[in-house]
Amino acid sequence: MSLLEAKEIRKTYKTRFGGASVEALKGVSFTVEKGEYVAIMGESGSGKTTLLNIIAALDRPTEGTVVLDGMELSSVRDSDLARFRRDNLGYVFQDFNLLDTFSLEDNIYLPLVLAGMKAEEMKKRLDDLAAPLGIGDLLKKYPYEVSGGQKQRAAVARALITDPRIILADEPTGALDSKSSDELLDLFAEVNRMGHTILMVTHSTRAASRASRVMFIRDGVVFHQIYRGDATDQQMYQKISDALTLLAQDGDGR
Amino acid sequence: MKAGFYPRMAANGMRKNGRLYAPYLVTCIMMVAVYYIFHFLGYSGIMDGMPGGHTATDMMRMGTYIMTLFGLLFLFYTQAALIRGRKKEFGLYSILGMNRFNLGRILFFETLFTWAAATAGGLIAGIGLSKLAELGFTRLIDVPVRYTFSVPMRSVLMTVLTYSAIFFLICLNSIRQVGFASPIELVTAEKAGEKPPRSNWVLGILGFASLGAGYFIALRIQQPMSALMWFLAAVILIMIGTYLLLIAGSVILCRMLQKNKNYYYRTNHFVSVSSMMYRMKRNGAGLASICILLTMILVMMSSTSSLYTGAEQCLDTRYPNEVGAFACKYGYDESLEDLGEKLDADLKAAAMEHGAKIINNKTFYEWSVSGYFDDSKLDIVLNSKSNLAFVNYDRVAQIIFIDVDVYNRVFGYHETVAPGEALVGTAKNIEIRDEITIGDVPFRVTKRIDDRVGEIDPAAKISACPGIYMIVKDVNEVAKNYIRYKDFDGAPMLAWFWECRFDTGLAPDEQAALADTLNTRINEELQPLDFDNCYCESHEAERGDFVSTFGGLFFLGLLLSLIFLISCVIIMYYKQISEGFEDQSRFDIMQKVGMTKEDIRRSVNSQMRTVFLIPILFACLHLAVVLPIVQKLLMLFGLFDIPRLILCSVVCVLICGMVYSVIYRATSNAYYRIVS
Repeated sequence: MSLLEAKEIRKTYKTRFGGASVEALKGVSFTVEKGEYVAIMGESGSGKTTLLNIIAALDRPTEGTVVLDGMELSSVRDSDLARFRRDNLGYVFQDFNLLDTFSLEDNIYLPLVLAGMKAEEMKKRLDDLAAPLGIGDLLKKYPYEVSGGQKQRAAVARALITDPRIILADEPTGALDSKSSDELLDLFAEVNRMGHTILMVTHSTRAASRASRVMFIRDGVVFHQIYRGDATDQQMYQKISDALTLLAQDGDGR
Repeated sequence: MKAGFYPRMAANGMRKNGRLYAPYLVTCIMMVAVYYIFHFLGYSGIMDGMPGGHTATDMMRMGTYIMTLFGLLFLFYTQAALIRGRKKEFGLYSILGMNRFNLGRILFFETLFTWAAATAGGLIAGIGLSKLAELGFTRLIDVPVRYTFSVPMRSVLMTVLTYSAIFFLICLNSIRQVGFASPIELVTAEKAGEKPPRSNWVLGILGFASLGAGYFIALRIQQPMSALMWFLAAVILIMIGTYLLLIAGSVILCRMLQKNKNYYYRTNHFVSVSSMMYRMKRNGAGLASICILLTMILVMMSSTSSLYTGAEQCLDTRYPNEVGAFACKYGYDESLEDLGEKLDADLKAAAMEHGAKIINNKTFYEWSVSGYFDDSKLDIVLNSKSNLAFVNYDRVAQIIFIDVDVYNRVFGYHETVAPGEALVGTAKNIEIRDEITIGDVPFRVTKRIDDRVGEIDPAAKISACPGIYMIVKDVNEVAKNYIRYKDFDGAPMLAWFWECRFDTGLAPDEQAALADTLNTRINEELQPLDFDNCYCESHEAERGDFVSTFGGLFFLGLLLSLIFLISCVIIMYYKQISEGFEDQSRFDIMQKVGMTKEDIRRSVNSQMRTVFLIPILFACLHLAVVLPIVQKLLMLFGLFDIPRLILCSVVCVLICGMVYSVIYRATSNAYYRIVS
């Protein structure tokens, strides 16, 4: 069975005065297997962030179901949603969402503290993570004292530390310069090799080229998919570029 | 650039930040109003002439100093927090091309508007509240109101001046904060946590020392009225100490809590401790302000409530008998003794005519001189015409000579005294040796009668001027020694006092009527004889006065406490609301990371529990330290009931604690609603 299964997801936004409704998602179905590294691409407004928010249980779909590891998200009660997210999902945000009031270390501990874990156990987990993520020296610093790339690495550590079933990333390189982006993508590849499943939303071809599969979303539906197979990153980049060109032409042709 | 640009910028900025400015403005208005009320009560003279009015006036005058300092400290911190929240905005202006001077002008106009609104609103509120107090008096007490309220220009002027100075300093501080930072520093200022004060330990030790010194002085004060400056110093030291200690202490506390991993990494404490750490200075200042307000409320409430509830006792102390007559004449006159006897006979006859029985009669005369008493020697320099403003109360004493035969007859003793000897007693803490010299006449002290002084003058303990009672042989001969003492105007220093007290067995309203009759009578007889003072009063007639005075004071205490309480509510509300808006986005993130609503609720509660108790505990400590002074002040009003004072204090602490916790809960709910 797949780790994540999205079936016919629809999301309709009503405008405020009950006028015309906007369909952000018009029946998106796909599956993610355990250990996969999936990128979702699409232009802005294509509904990819809406999709990610629904998978992350930050938002409810109008129709359709999301099943994570056999659990149906819609069956989770509202009051348990936060706990569900904390225990099962690791989320990496475009704008990091680190808290200014905490040092990086405490930011990373946050989900564990919320889960009521003991201080020693948390320390052990962080020790295992800090070295591969390259944030060992930064832990005592505060978010406003470090660079964007360092912040995002801390955010990745925060997503990983709960040992989630799936890591969801929303434009993780969006606020980073190219060098930091590359470092972060290397990190994601490394994390994926360690066995974590990653679902990433991006519109950067460079970021998507590191994934094992790329899904294209346009106008609220899954339009196209590319599997890496044995291709190198460079070949993958080419494939994606071609697909995007095709997509753009096709779109214009309509 | 068009004229009026900066004022408009300033007004817009304030309007857009209305959520933060509105409570700040209300706070300013309250502080100004409180200052006005204190100044008004202290300097307008409306409390003159009521029992203990002098004490109350002095307290109010002291209150104006305290309110000045408190207003400065308090508004400084509130405003600093306000500017902090707006630094981003100023950073943006500065990136858009405003220089220091331009920003300074905006800040100047903002402060100017705040000043104008605060002083105008504060004065209106202050005047309104004093009118309210007037209404309250008339409603609460059915006796004629003895205070009339007006609007003295002096108080208005002083209020405006004081707050102009305070706002000037505030303006300078805000210009310092904004003007000397680079645009980028300003833009990112909101993100960076407060840095701990550089010399935190020094600050802590300084606060500790200041508080300790304040406590020390407060506990050592024996005579609060004569040591008013010391008392003021103690209060100011305690206030400054509270601020420093709580600012430094909250940083230290946060550090300690953060170091304790098992405490810190708990769902409940994690968020609260870190956000306390994030704004530690502001937190400490806020707590200190709350603490000082609570202390003021507690002191006012416990003192005025014990006076109010103990009014009857004060009345009994001051007027031990149902009816009392009193006469006083300066200078020596052979005929006075006979006059006293005639007066006595006349009054008693008039009383019998009224149907009164003469019970517990105490009628006697005494000679008196006053001056500075040092080393068992009295230097006769004072009489009732002395300018008491320049008197050092610590050294003053009044000597009262009573003839031993009169003493034995009236009070039922069998004492014998030889010439040159005296029985000596005092209700105050005065050191008297075996020989006491009055003027240049020495007396050998053969016996101390300290515990019998209350029989002669029940108010001996109350009077601001300590009395020394000397029972001597042939009092008129003794008095002759002092005929030659005169003041600058040639008026004699020696005074003759005549006193007559008795119970009547009459109904209360008849007692009052009798006193009226006797008062007319004694005035008729003595006015032609050029007496300095004479009157007749009754326990019953004075009751109304006492009740209205103490009721008035109690009402005043309630009113001021209410104002302080409202200030307290505003601080807490302001603290919670402004923090709530700051924390909103943080809790948003935390919810994304997996914080549940319960977690938020619990962490809010944890923060509440950590900081809730600190101000009230400190306030109780302060109260305990100043309670002895309060007790001594109450003695001047005639209240000696220490258990009553303690009981009233405890009740006030309980009520205050309850109200405080309700407010805290309500404001933390407001915080919770914002963040969740």
